[in-house]
Amino acid sequence: MKRRDFLASALTLPLLAAFAGSAFAADTLTVLLPPWGTLPKEMTDRFAKDAGVTLDAQTLGWDDIRTKIITSMVAGTAPADATEVDWSWVGQFGSAGWYEPLDDKIDKTVVGDIPTASIFRYDGKLLAVPYSNDFRILIYNKAHLDKAGIKAPPTTPDELLAAAKAVKSAGIAEYPIGLPLSATEGTSTAWYLLTKAFGGDLFDKDFKPLFTAKDSGGYKALAFEIGALKDGLIDPAATGLKDVEVHEVFKAGKLTFDVAGWAGNLSVYSDPAKSQVANDVAAALMPSVTGKSRTFGLPEAVGIPTGAANAKAAETFITWLNMPQNQIAAYETLGNLPPRMSVLRTLNEQGKLKQGDVLLEQAAVVEPLIAQGTPGWYPQFSTAVASAINQAAKGQLGVDEAIAAIAKAAEDAQSN
Amino acid sequence: MSTSSPRRSRKPGELALAAALVVPIVVVMGGLVFWPLATSVLDSFYRIDPMRPGTPFVGLANYGSLLADANTRAAWLNTFAYVAMAVVLETIGGMGAALLLNRVKHGRQWLLAITVLPWCLPPVVNAIVWMWIFNPSYGLLNHALLWLGVIDARKVWFNDQATALFLVSLVHVWRMMPLTAVILLAALQSIPRDLYEAARLDGAGPIKSFRLVTLPLISSGLAIALSQSTVFAFNLFDEAWILSGSSLDTRSVIIQVYLTAFQNLRFSSGMALSILAMLASLMVSLIYVLRVYRETRYD
Amino acid sequence: MRSLISTLPRRIGTAVAVALLVAWSLGPIYWSLVTSLTPPLHLLGTPSLWPREITFEHYAKLVGATSVSQGNAVQSVWPQFSAALVNSLVTSGLATVVTVVIAAFGAYAFVRLEFPGRDLLFVAVVATLAIPAYTVMIPLYRLMISLKLIDTYTGITLIYVSAFLPLALWLMRSVYQAMPISLEEAAWLDGAGRIYTLVHIVLPLSAPGLIASAILTFLNAWGQFMVPLVFSPTLATKPLTVLIPEFVTRNYIDFGLMNAAGILAIIPPVLLVLFLNRYLVSGLMAGATK
Repeated sequence: MKRRDFLASALTLPLLAAFAGSAFAADTLTVLLPPWGTLPKEMTDRFAKDAGVTLDAQTLGWDDIRTKIITSMVAGTAPADATEVDWSWVGQFGSAGWYEPLDDKIDKTVVGDIPTASIFRYDGKLLAVPYSNDFRILIYNKAHLDKAGIKAPPTTPDELLAAAKAVKSAGIAEYPIGLPLSATEGTSTAWYLLTKAFGGDLFDKDFKPLFTAKDSGGYKALAFEIGALKDGLIDPAATGLKDVEVHEVFKAGKLTFDVAGWAGNLSVYSDPAKSQVANDVAAALMPSVTGKSRTFGLPEAVGIPTGAANAKAAETFITWLNMPQNQIAAYETLGNLPPRMSVLRTLNEQGKLKQGDVLLEQAAVVEPLIAQGTPGWYPQFSTAVASAINQAAKGQLGVDEAIAAIAKAAEDAQSN
Repeated sequence: MSTSSPRRSRKPGELALAAALVVPIVVVMGGLVFWPLATSVLDSFYRIDPMRPGTPFVGLANYGSLLADANTRAAWLNTFAYVAMAVVLETIGGMGAALLLNRVKHGRQWLLAITVLPWCLPPVVNAIVWMWIFNPSYGLLNHALLWLGVIDARKVWFNDQATALFLVSLVHVWRMMPLTAVILLAALQSIPRDLYEAARLDGAGPIKSFRLVTLPLISSGLAIALSQSTVFAFNLFDEAWILSGSSLDTRSVIIQVYLTAFQNLRFSSGMALSILAMLASLMVSLIYVLRVYRETRYD
Repeated sequence: MRSLISTLPRRIGTAVAVALLVAWSLGPIYWSLVTSLTPPLHLLGTPSLWPREITFEHYAKLVGATSVSQGNAVQSVWPQFSAALVNSLVTSGLATVVTVVIAAFGAYAFVRLEFPGRDLLFVAVVATLAIPAYTVMIPLYRLMISLKLIDTYTGITLIYVSAFLPLALWLMRSVYQAMPISLEEAAWLDGAGRIYTLVHIVLPLSAPGLIASAILTFLNAWGQFMVPLVFSPTLATKPLTVLIPEFVTRNYIDFGLMNAAGILAIIPPVLLVLFLNRYLVSGLMAGATK
């Protein structure tokens, strides 16, 4: 009977399934990267030819890569032969021992040419090599400043506020300052950046908070943000905006300052197809109270998880990715700012870097967010920071209470 | 239940037939659900934290520390608010839609397809569409309410916790209501028409016949619909995460699970919380099932 | 015969209700459509109910052979998009067929057959509805690795079946319970076997329940994100729901592209619903009540 056959086949399906697994070829290299790490076919073909290994690129959305890596590693398998490693994961992945040390595997002169590589050291060991440089820089709308009669970009936070007030009172922009205040990571990193601008740091060498005193950089930075919000210099809607949404508002010409600007974003902002302010965008060094501009790096890197099936090929891939011609190709096709200083300089000499001089000057002073390296509890701390700032921006907490909540979060995160 | 059901005297081979029909269920559910679940429950009694060496047995310590955690408590309260709003709105809306679909004669298949549409939109796109509608500066909601004169200044909707919880629930309800509608429609479709005829002859009006005929006969469908909307609301994640990130005002229990296990790497603590979420949604569902579920046979 | 006058308020009521339902369901979808047709530079402006300027560039990016990104001609995302679309269709379709078949036959055993542990087993299976995906994800991942089922249609389908079987089973059980046993008894008296009765009498009468289970399973599978995120690493099995968030590039959320992808993604399930719906609301119960 026909139907009975159908039933029988439905019953045996799970059994058959056990034998239908896919086999992986040994000469394939699997690489797990976000969309902006997904190299164009021309490059992967070239790699296949150079290295004799087929590149199997797996792309996942940014938030999702981490879920994927953690699921695989906790289950005891490598998610791929080489994966994305974000600067903020270094403490966790390092203390879990999930990534192979690369010190003996990657050429020392190459590593030496990448200042941000130090951010990927855990316990002195290099866990991943940056493929995309990123740091914060002040991006502003020059036309707004011109119209308000301001000749030079601000160099101190006070000048920034004064300029914003002038722009607002001249009716050029309703809310001149762009800062994310939602409960997302971009809100936390913007506050860290302002903490440095106010001459402060997050932690001392024993990870004791340095932001609790009223005259500390961190306290002043939060007071600055909440004050600017109350003065109508920041859009009240910023409590719902992520960093990438602030960028959209800047591109629409409604912001004068993208305070926590991403260095890599300059190429997008000056692209007329993507931005309405392509001709007006300019960059300046991060304002600072000390006269010496400070910023921190948020680079992304590639590392090799322990247990990777084809670790050897992954090594070759990382070395290949760091060759100057490949870094330049990645910049031109994907907009990834090259991590190697020598490559950045070459690009600037060729006139391919938007606002190149400022970028290079700022790149020279990039420091890690936390001097002794990203600790394992950083993600938990950072989420609490974003939630507390978000609550303060909504008026649910005062600045003092928010700072106290952040300090408590630091203590909780470290005590566990 | 089985004792009251009329039953044929057992034929030889009935047990074998039952085994043949049930074995696939046992294999699939046992292998892919019960076994992993047992592993996770066991794990929740250990300290599994990849950042610390060893996995000592800690008994109920993971559960105990969850009770003490203020963020987790806030997440529970938010989740209960989501469940209450989602279940009420989905049931009322879904019942209305199902009754309407059952009555409409022309273009019914188009109306059903339209009703089901929200559920076909990928969840990420769904949340993003609503994010734009709620956007304080460029969103449709503010502009429409200003134009109608309901509000006199643009509102930042997510600055108020009650509004934020309601809007997140609304997005969830918009997506999940079709599920309730489809389940109830299937139940309505199996009510024989002559029962309504009989009720009408007895002089029952539309409301009375709904209460006397429709409700009892769709009660098992209603129990299913209520339970699934409860379970989905307990599992709410995407809507709150995309609309307002890790904000404590809208953080749900499952977001807290994600943050604990996949962000803070306190893996067994996250498993413990997810098991509590499971037990809570089971318990709430059980209330409906016991109240609403009645055997409805008429033979 | 009732007069037109007395049914008029009822008709108006129905019309208003239909209009409300349509507006509620289509409003946000329409807004998504408008966004997908708006040029990127116009997205941040005063919203208007129809785009002032229509562009098909987002759709061109999805289906065209090449497109322009950051000034460079790049490969269009169509190869990825179409592969993901096929994956979504295959995994959701397979999961639906397997789930409905197992549920249709299994639920019958739970209603009409006697076997030890019947009610306990049923309650246990239905209770698994309440398990959050995160609870079982890591042990399941270990299992799938050892079975070599990662990134295979079989693996994804099996997980979907285990996730959606409880709901389908419960639904089918309630459908069979509501069915008069007298019809089956008549067939048994004629000497028909259990399977014959089930296939030829019970299943056709349960069509609304079967179709509802199929729609529920298909759409639940279609919208899955967490499961394929972990179990479908490559385009061999990766579905649309995992592909679409990848359109968020680091510097730039491509709202137009995401909405265009979303609009294209709702077409297949809607066609399926339109097709299946004929059976869901065709009044097959008429045969049972005459």
